[in-house]
Amino acid sequence: MCYTGKLLRVNLTTGQSQVEELNKQWAVDYIGGKGLGIKYLYEELSPGIEPLSAENKLILMTGLFTGTIIPLSGKLAIITKSPATGTILDCSIGGHFAAELKYAGYDGVILEGKATKPSYLYIEDQNVELRDASELWGQGAQDTELILRDKIHEDVKALVIGPAAENLVTMSCITSEFYRQAGRGGVGAVMGSKNLKAVAVKGSGSISVPNIKQFVDTLQEVMRTDTLTDTNLWVNTDGTPLLVDLNQDTGILPTRNFQEGTFDDYQKINSDALKTVRTGKKGCFSCALGCGNYSRSGRSTVEGPEYETLAIGGSNCGISDLEAIIEFNDLCDNLGMDTISVGNVIAFAMELTEKGIKDFGLKFGDVDAYLKVPGLIAAQDGIGVDLGLGVKKLSEKYGGSDFAMQVKGLEFPGYEPRGSWGMGLAYATSDRGACHMRAWPVADEAYGDLDPFTVEGKAQLVIDLQHYNAAKFSLILCDFWALSMETMGTLVSNLQERTVSEQELTLVGERVVNLARQFNVREGYSKDNDTLPERIFKETLKTGATKGQFLPREEFEKMLAEYYSLRGWDHNGKPAEAKLQELGII
Amino acid sequence: MALKLIEELCIGCRLCQLACSAAKEEVFNPELARLKVISTYTKTGLNYTTSLCSMCLICVGICPTEAITHQDGHLVYDQDKCTNCGSCITECPEKVITSREQGIALCDFCGGSPACVEWCPHHALINQEVN
Repeated sequence: MCYTGKLLRVNLTTGQSQVEELNKQWAVDYIGGKGLGIKYLYEELSPGIEPLSAENKLILMTGLFTGTIIPLSGKLAIITKSPATGTILDCSIGGHFAAELKYAGYDGVILEGKATKPSYLYIEDQNVELRDASELWGQGAQDTELILRDKIHEDVKALVIGPAAENLVTMSCITSEFYRQAGRGGVGAVMGSKNLKAVAVKGSGSISVPNIKQFVDTLQEVMRTDTLTDTNLWVNTDGTPLLVDLNQDTGILPTRNFQEGTFDDYQKINSDALKTVRTGKKGCFSCALGCGNYSRSGRSTVEGPEYETLAIGGSNCGISDLEAIIEFNDLCDNLGMDTISVGNVIAFAMELTEKGIKDFGLKFGDVDAYLKVPGLIAAQDGIGVDLGLGVKKLSEKYGGSDFAMQVKGLEFPGYEPRGSWGMGLAYATSDRGACHMRAWPVADEAYGDLDPFTVEGKAQLVIDLQHYNAAKFSLILCDFWALSMETMGTLVSNLQERTVSEQELTLVGERVVNLARQFNVREGYSKDNDTLPERIFKETLKTGATKGQFLPREEFEKMLAEYYSLRGWDHNGKPAEAKLQELGII
Repeated sequence: MALKLIEELCIGCRLCQLACSAAKEEVFNPELARLKVISTYTKTGLNYTTSLCSMCLICVGICPTEAITHQDGHLVYDQDKCTNCGSCITECPEKVITSREQGIALCDFCGGSPACVEWCPHHALINQEVN
């Protein structure tokens, strides 16, 4: 119950679409969202294909909870092979698109092939049409949404790309409702490579659940006692900018391309500073919290900046001017680019310039030069051609790989692993490269009771967190609801009319992690790729709570070996056949 | 009593519409709700589109068959008396009343304790006294 049981498959090359039955067994094994999307991609994609070719697929997947009254269940998973990393890539995006797609009658959409000219897909219940997008091509992400609202309906929901994705920049994202992004790994470029400017949807259908009145009463109790609590309400009162102070205090605030873990001017970019320019709050469909801080400063308005932008686009570039960071965020949003990767590549280019390796005319703290970069990358103009390569390829071209802050080609988020050693393992083993959304041991290590400067117990911690997130993102729920696995099981049980235990959901999480790993192994990834930049292993931090700290390589290797062993993977990081059989993957 | 939205507290989650459609239609479908609260971004700011029963009672006055009456502070709809003339739908200034296969759907405040108000997570939607 609560699946539509239908998938929409669209061949963009021919413009033809067909509706097919959802694979019910896969829906049991992988639930939905991240897990189910990865399963479909794994089964359908040939190994070794070029991510920006017509052979790649883009899968939009809702979940079991989508469209219901379950709080924070409004997200959509987007799954493809990443052009930035060559790995599996799943991103989640907020807003209202996922629910609208389900009301239109589909659990998911599989986009195949490549449109012969710039196009957008319009789905209105059973009517599916590939339309000409020549007047949209070249438009900013937000501008595109406004045009679609004007052309179709004021309340149409859309996924759109900006000019960066059209130009196949591998740090381009997919946007919805102006400020929500499937941000990482170049998911936007895959859409751009398919000549697909937007997917717009209007749905009129309804979703039924068993014993709806009892279900609603149960959920209202859950919302009051488990969602709207002090554990979660920081999301509404502050949102992610709260992490600036926390990370400054714990010495893990990336500063000047991860050269330091504290930033002298952190108070200019923290939550209190952001509150002075906040003009509104916004949440996604069915969200009870509302993380979005609508901010206005100077000539820019933006929902944000989120912590990642404040850190990676702020302190990590030596920028303390909040108005400049807001403008940077606004530029990236309309051009359709991931602020984490853009911020990182700017910081890396600043350090290359500082060290005299390659002069990009960029200096830490130089606001004017910094604000020119997003436009240059998106247009693939001037230094933007080089910077659009991303940190990994830029280091391969000019040097500096020791301080190229990336894993598998994906740039670091805003948490210094020398002050959270488990986070180092989480970056190294994440299915899509350096990512904080697969496991976030920072909460236990930097903010919690665990010693951040030891590898003891960290392999199991990272594994447990990876399973938790894989299950949560398959349901699909927002990261910001810190609910227990047991509560997740209760919610599923209410909809499925059978008891789904915490253990069963943990097993789903493990299955999803292993399948994602198997995808990457099939693409040639192994232990050699599960590593961190030399800076983390060799350079000591010089200030704050992490002063004198580095993560010794032998300690990291010990943690990684333990991780493989606990997972039932071989010494090269390949899942053993017995493990894959145990999980029902083969 | 009448519904009122305090925009600065609203996060645009549509839980109110989901609660309404569940209470009145026994499905989840925001479009079937007897209220609308939508917030969208534009280039100039965050805009709210609302459709809330203000208890103006125009529908009560215009209904030719007394299918809509005002009792105990809320509207009461009697489908047996409704002739599907559509007058209430046309005249409702808030566009809250909509047609159904049989008759109409209106906001009756759930008999006094509106589900939408109970579900609003940040008390942006309130039930306030009107003259």
